[in-house]
Amino acid sequence: MSTIIQLAVGEPSGQRADGPALVSIADAGAIAAVAEEVGVAAIRLVDGSASGRTLDPTVVGAYLAGLHGGVGYVAEVPTTCNAPYNAARRVLSLDRATGGRIGVALRAGEGDEVSQATGPEPGATDPTRRWTEYARVLTRLWESFPREALIGDQKAGIVAEDALIKPIDHEGSFYRVAGPLDGPSSVQGRPVVVADLHALGALDATAVAESADVVVVDRERAAGADAALTEALWHVGRSREDVALLGRVEVALDDPAAAAALGDELRAWADEHRLNGFELVPTGGTEAVVTALRTLAPRLADVGAVSSPPTLRAALGLREVAAVLT
Amino acid sequence: MSRRLHINVNILNAGVFGGSWRFPDTDGTASYRIEHYTSIAKKAEEAKLDAVFLADGPSLDPSVRHRTGNNLEPTTVLARIAAQTERIGLIGTLSSSYNDPIELARRLGDLDYVSGGRFGWNVVTTAGPVAARNFGRTGELDHALRYRRAAEFTTRVVAGWARRTEFASPQGRPVVVQAGGSSDGRRLASRVGEVIFSADQDLDHARAFRTEIRNGAVTFGRRPEEVVILPGLSTVVGSTEAEARARRELLDQILPDAYARNRLAGQLGISLDGLSDDEPIPAGLLVDPDEAGGSQTFYRVVKAIIDREKPTLGQLLKKLSGGGGHRIVVGTPEQIADDIETWFRAGAADGFNVMPDVLPSGFDDFADHVIPELQRRGLFRTEYEGTTLRDHLGLGLPAVPDEAYERRPLDAVR
Repeated sequence: MSTIIQLAVGEPSGQRADGPALVSIADAGAIAAVAEEVGVAAIRLVDGSASGRTLDPTVVGAYLAGLHGGVGYVAEVPTTCNAPYNAARRVLSLDRATGGRIGVALRAGEGDEVSQATGPEPGATDPTRRWTEYARVLTRLWESFPREALIGDQKAGIVAEDALIKPIDHEGSFYRVAGPLDGPSSVQGRPVVVADLHALGALDATAVAESADVVVVDRERAAGADAALTEALWHVGRSREDVALLGRVEVALDDPAAAAALGDELRAWADEHRLNGFELVPTGGTEAVVTALRTLAPRLADVGAVSSPPTLRAALGLREVAAVLT
Repeated sequence: MSRRLHINVNILNAGVFGGSWRFPDTDGTASYRIEHYTSIAKKAEEAKLDAVFLADGPSLDPSVRHRTGNNLEPTTVLARIAAQTERIGLIGTLSSSYNDPIELARRLGDLDYVSGGRFGWNVVTTAGPVAARNFGRTGELDHALRYRRAAEFTTRVVAGWARRTEFASPQGRPVVVQAGGSSDGRRLASRVGEVIFSADQDLDHARAFRTEIRNGAVTFGRRPEEVVILPGLSTVVGSTEAEARARRELLDQILPDAYARNRLAGQLGISLDGLSDDEPIPAGLLVDPDEAGGSQTFYRVVKAIIDREKPTLGQLLKKLSGGGGHRIVVGTPEQIADDIETWFRAGAADGFNVMPDVLPSGFDDFADHVIPELQRRGLFRTEYEGTTLRDHLGLGLPAVPDEAYERRPLDAVR
């Protein structure tokens, strides 16, 4: 079982919120240290929260990884206002800087001003179709400059074997992107793509089957998620082992002693619905997050699990390096 | 207090020279790893520099076979540097043509907040068709339209920062840096630029440029002291003059020839195929700088060299050494300090955006030997006096520039 913990970084209001509360950037650093110590797979940095505005997750992820590099970070990035070439570049830069510990939770939304000016189909607006196309562009761009191409042969005067670096020449309904990216792929092949299947969200298993590495379902959507995902993956030539299915749960741990019972309950829930792990959403601020990390997260880890997985993919129980796309 | 120099280091991947990545005892692919950038930033902070500077463009340089390129996205690099340093300023280049203004204003403002008020945004319009193709276009946008959008985009972003109530910046708002030397670029610099990264080979020309920008700022209702002008300066440092010259010679020898020719052909917009090294550049084929596409700044600098010196192709390639057109100084720490002091005292510069020949070794030499010499002369700080980039640059927080809505809505890159 792998665990991701959700964090909203911003300016705490001081009022006690019912749901996840904002934590300050300084507290986020302390939380990252604990996350690193207890060995969760990643911290998911949310973009926007019911409690108020959050700091840009890619900025926060880069900053926290510069302080505590032993844990993964998943940055929420919406399609809205982000041209895919820029998002791909930013996320891959982060992944390379962290030695392959980055994921992106791509959120379905609208377009960006730059891409809209030249969109192949100006009338295309469906967020689900946009997500699918956007994720395809990201994953293709992330492998457009393979690691092996960077050779740095000083004697021969060759930096990169440019024949191996290829444009993606994507032309879809929403985007036209030539590529390639300007830097090599990361040690985990590609950053991890996280897709949310909310009860009211735009995405379903079919929409995300081609590109998602992690699928997160809310508690009420867990039943049947495994079967739907398995089938959707089969249709695109992938298998269920290629994707980690995580169940998202809000946790309120006022009493640390309650962690044992909650841990047992969550594991049973995961077994019942064939989930591979959890995305924990602690309700409350810094203290609640630290309590969840210290008391609950260790109970969700498998006995004998690898203590320091080399990449985020490995920490999520996926192949350590992504298979190359065809 | 007497006027002091402002010095940034431009971490231009492996160094400004085309052969930098091949220099002896240099790790040829270090610039593809983050530690290259964080360690140079730490060194720059020890040397009390104003800021590190990252150039950037959203594309793969087609010359990647023969020279290293910028390859890590600046906001992620600078956020990591922010986590591992305390004072050094953080300047990143981001395109006004290929970003969404809402997203960019938020991300850059947040980076400024997270770094404790140390961020500066170098606004560029991004020349060339290669980047354009990553954003749905078939070719680059017209020069004038690029700059009209840049003015609108920049003033809108700055106004957004000024309106912030959450995540307020310790320096009020990020510093706006501008680097274009074309007529359109100079107008943008006068309107919104607080730091100007210029390119100049000649002291008198640089002094005239500085005067023009400062006077231009006044016409936009600004004070001339609100603009800090930092020409690019490529440095080749040796412990003796002979050693510095030998280093410069070696950099010429290891410059991949194919790269140098391709880069020059691209800058001039003409083909150099079939032209041998001992033939003169066909100056008759070169258009007026205001008519040139791409980067007019470097076109202007290189054309001036051709008009003045009438070099052969080989001589010109050697003079530029794959570096594009920033002025190169070669010498001992004292000689380089003399040059810097001369330009500074003549009113040709407020300091420099230093572009070491080879990274990190060329910057180590600069930080260890040139900076102490400038400090001995009382020209450069020995301690930081503040914590923000505005503090280092001696910039206050001027009024928000008028929003440049010459057209509404914002001109997209069509």
